Amino acid sequence: MRSAELKKGIPAKASKCVTSPDLSVNVAGIKMKNPVMTASGTFGYGEEFKDIIDLNRLGGIIVKGVSARPIKGNPPPRIWETPAGMLNAIGLENPGVDVFINEKLPILRSYDTAVIVNIFGYSLEEYVAVTERLDGIPGIAGLEVNISCPNVKAGGIVFGTNVKAASELLTALRKATKLPLIAKLSPNVTDITEFARAAEGSGCDGLSLINTLLGMAIDVRCRKPRLANVTGGLSGPAIKPVAVRMVWQVARAVKLPIIGMGGIMTPEDALEFILAGATAIAVGTGNFINPRATLDIADGLASHLKREGIPSVRDLIGQVIVA
Amino acid sequence: MPPTKLHQATVVLHQEAGRGYFRIVLKAPGLAKQARPGQFVMLRVSENQDPILARPFGIAAVKSKQYIELFYRVVGRGTALLATVERDAVLQVQGPLGNGFPAPEKGTTPLLVAGGSGFPPLLYFALSMRHPLYMFLGARDKECLPPLRAIKSCREQAEKVYIATDDGSAGTRGFVTDGLAAFLDSRNDRESFVIYACGPRSMMAAVSKLAAERGISCFVSMEERMACGLGVCMGCSVAVRTGGYKRVCKEGPVFKSSDIDWSEQVVLPALHRK
Ligand SMILES: Cc1cc2nc3c(=O)[nH]c(=O)nc-3n(C[C@H](O)[C@H](O)[C@H](O)COP(=O)(O)OP(=O)(O)OC[C@H]3O[C@@H](n4cnc5c(N)ncnc54)[C@H](O)[C@@H]3O)c2cc1C
Ligand SMILES: Cc1cc2nc3c(=O)[nH]c(=O)nc-3n(C[C@H](O)[C@H](O)[C@H](O)COP(=O)(O)O)c2cc1C
Ligand code: FES
Repeated sequence: MRSAELKKGIPAKASKCVTSPDLSVNVAGIKMKNPVMTASGTFGYGEEFKDIIDLNRLGGIIVKGVSARPIKGNPPPRIWETPAGMLNAIGLENPGVDVFINEKLPILRSYDTAVIVNIFGYSLEEYVAVTERLDGIPGIAGLEVNISCPNVKAGGIVFGTNVKAASELLTALRKATKLPLIAKLSPNVTDITEFARAAEGSGCDGLSLINTLLGMAIDVRCRKPRLANVTGGLSGPAIKPVAVRMVWQVARAVKLPIIGMGGIMTPEDALEFILAGATAIAVGTGNFINPRATLDIADGLASHLKREGIPSVRDLIGQVIVA
Repeated sequence: MPPTKLHQATVVLHQEAGRGYFRIVLKAPGLAKQARPGQFVMLRVSENQDPILARPFGIAAVKSKQYIELFYRVVGRGTALLATVERDAVLQVQGPLGNGFPAPEKGTTPLLVAGGSGFPPLLYFALSMRHPLYMFLGARDKECLPPLRAIKSCREQAEKVYIATDDGSAGTRGFVTDGLAAFLDSRNDRESFVIYACGPRSMMAAVSKLAAERGISCFVSMEERMACGLGVCMGCSVAVRTGGYKRVCKEGPVFKSSDIDWSEQVVLPALHRK
């Protein structure tokens, strides 16, 4: 795959037509039947979607953020709709890692899809605790580390916006688990490639980007913020160009495979991320708008490959032509 | 796989129903067959990304196991766009969602309390039961009461329908809760009453207080902004008395009123009560 990724230029069109294109990919050592995943926090623990789509058809499921202890979340209102997007300040509400392992994971495990557990904490110790707890539990393909959390023990500085803090965190987590480790980068930084390099230097196996962009909305009549938390994360099609740009920059800066996300709703959106350098993609807010979006994208990728005579989706990774 | 919750529904009827309400009937057999009173749907009102999120609406009736009926008021961009949708259009709709009203037990007398545009799910509930029931409809003024055809259905179904408006332009002057309190205090068969309320939060908080003071059990159908309607985004949470939050779209929208933490300050303005 590496060689295909590095190959420059347009892949030669197959002379005969491609009848069953190869959608399989390998991200950070995780084998997936197709590159389509669900983004953390937009798909719960999978069970809510089982009446809507066949979960076995997904490349992978990245579950809602899990922490060492249960988290209550922020007061409402927690969401606000924006042009082609939404702001959220859920506050990472979750039942904690023990409930996840005992009640959610057994259901997920029964499906033929890669389960990636998104983890977070509010101190280095909390991140390590949840990582150690998940290490060695069967049915987990890898961990995705949400580094966009404040370190309450260090004056609230956000791990993901300080290169030193991010490196320390990821290095500690590398020691705490043998599972594939994927760092989920924050877009709320000046130069995202610094963080990608820090993750690579810390021994991570892959990168996810992007998390939500920090935003705010105000009710002009009562002069109050729309969200009880005042600020929130912007997601959805509104952020897609920012995400594509960041994937492109990071793909050129590091060798790690990338899971691209940010506003993906259609097969064409997914292809943009793949061409920019993503090996896999994740659908977030798109799940709320079209609950079948993931499957529509997987089908659309296959038809695109057939139509264009490209044998494998891997032939497209990073193949954007920049003069 | 169990019956799907994602449907493509055809608009078979869409008309102004009076008093600023629209009535829309959708053909969605898969949805209609599963629906129970108190459940809701998430309706996509636009095919493009403006607005991007679906809108929640309570199911007001199920007809011939094929059709669902909704009533809505135009309060913002989404409902304004919905009002332009023509007959035969196909809309993406998810449902039925949420838990619905618990069926009233034998021997109980349901009291249905609707504030503003909170009447649709209660209408479905009323139409679905054979219990003798009473209805209390309240609004700011006459023009914000349910449309006449809905009130007519209520009258056919209930022993009596009590109407109150804040300004006295229809029914008695005052809050719907004033009429409810007077009714409760005039009766000596209070033990049999169970209250079901849907409307603005302030109204439901008042109904909840009334019920608690008199030891009457009470259920409320809550409204919050929603993104997914499926229980995955955790965006629609309301604070509960035991601490923490519950999702309106999943554990709700119907809750025991004593479970809700009514002290939690809520910024959501109840404009739709207009
Ligand atoms: C479970 C549930 C059932 C509902 N059933 C009905 C119904 O049967 N008929 C009906 O007319 N309306 C119903 N609503 C309210 C309806 O969803 C909103 O009126 C609608 O989403 C407004 O969309 P908009 O784009 O027109 O307004 P926006 O521009 O988004 O907002 C305009 C106004 O509507 C209020 N609003 C927006 N979203 C909601 C919401 N989710 N709940 C309450 N108020 C909201 C806003 O606070 C604002 O004051 C229900 C809401 C919920 C949660
Ligand atoms: C409601 C909501 C909840 C989210 N929760 C999490 C979370 O728990 N952990 C995390 O790393 N990212 C979380 N995200 C971010 C998404 O996983 C994703 O990175 C981001 O939304 C961009 O993708 P999108 O535009 O496709 O939604 C959340 C996003 C939304 C909209
Ligand atoms: S609307 Fe998403 S959890 Fe309720």
